[in-house]
Amino acid sequence: MNPGDKSLRKLFEAARRAPAGDESAPFGFSTRVAARAFDRAPSLTSFGPIALRALAVAGIVAALAVAANLSAIKGALDDESQFNSTDDPVSEVVDVGS
Amino acid sequence: MPDDQSFDLAGCLERVRKRDQAAAKDLVEHLHPLVIRIVRAHLPQRVSEEDLTQDIFLKMFSRIEQYQGAVPFTHWVSRIAVTTCIDQLRAQKRRPELRWADLSEGEAEVLTQSMSSDDDVRPGDAVASRELLHKLLGQLKPEDRLVIQYLDLEQRSVAEIASLTGWSKTLVKVRAFRARRKLQRLYLELTQEERS
Repeated sequence: MNPGDKSLRKLFEAARRAPAGDESAPFGFSTRVAARAFDRAPSLTSFGPIALRALAVAGIVAALAVAANLSAIKGALDDESQFNSTDDPVSEVVDVGS
Repeated sequence: MPDDQSFDLAGCLERVRKRDQAAAKDLVEHLHPLVIRIVRAHLPQRVSEEDLTQDIFLKMFSRIEQYQGAVPFTHWVSRIAVTTCIDQLRAQKRRPELRWADLSEGEAEVLTQSMSSDDDVRPGDAVASRELLHKLLGQLKPEDRLVIQYLDLEQRSVAEIASLTGWSKTLVKVRAFRARRKLQRLYLELTQEERS
């Protein structure tokens, strides 16, 4: 406080002498707050790391599965393209028409 | 400040992290005096003291996993309380001008006493003095109000305020200097209004 400002300083000194009043929690307040705190959805901080790990593991498993079955997948795709070129009912109908 | 010696804070926090509701209740009761003091010092108009206190505690529980123990837990909670109150004060935007007519009889008497004589304000007028100061501080910006409250009313050190608010010591000093000048101007305006 500015030493020249005696009036305001007197006001602060008097205010500091004021009793603090009741600072304890009102009846039922802590129970209500504790219940509401845990009512909320579990925080990301508790499930987040587990979820992220699970996602990473799932991604690796998916990549390994694709790698292990690459030849089978490739074969199936080839078969499908052959099927498409020979057994396409639409092209057969178009061929008949022409 | 809550009595940390008789309260097993570390154990209580451990149980709260395991979602023990009884421990959460104990923690609220233990910290309530600390939080309510901050709320009462920075309560915006038309905001319930209890609602604001509850918001602070709910924020504390939602962030409790982030507490790493780098600062005392009470400082960490104080910082949440202070920022929540400042946010509420900022949301209020308009700070109504304080007029002589807005003062209660006791506040007007205290103001007259403070400006008229060399005597101190009477001890019986302590509550009225605090109310009058709160009304004057209510016209300052939230950050200015906070720094005056801590420095001049609660007589905390600059280092302590820096720790509680997260501001640098220089910023605390600069804000205190500006805030005191503004408060003196407001006080003079009010006393001039009374004289005229």
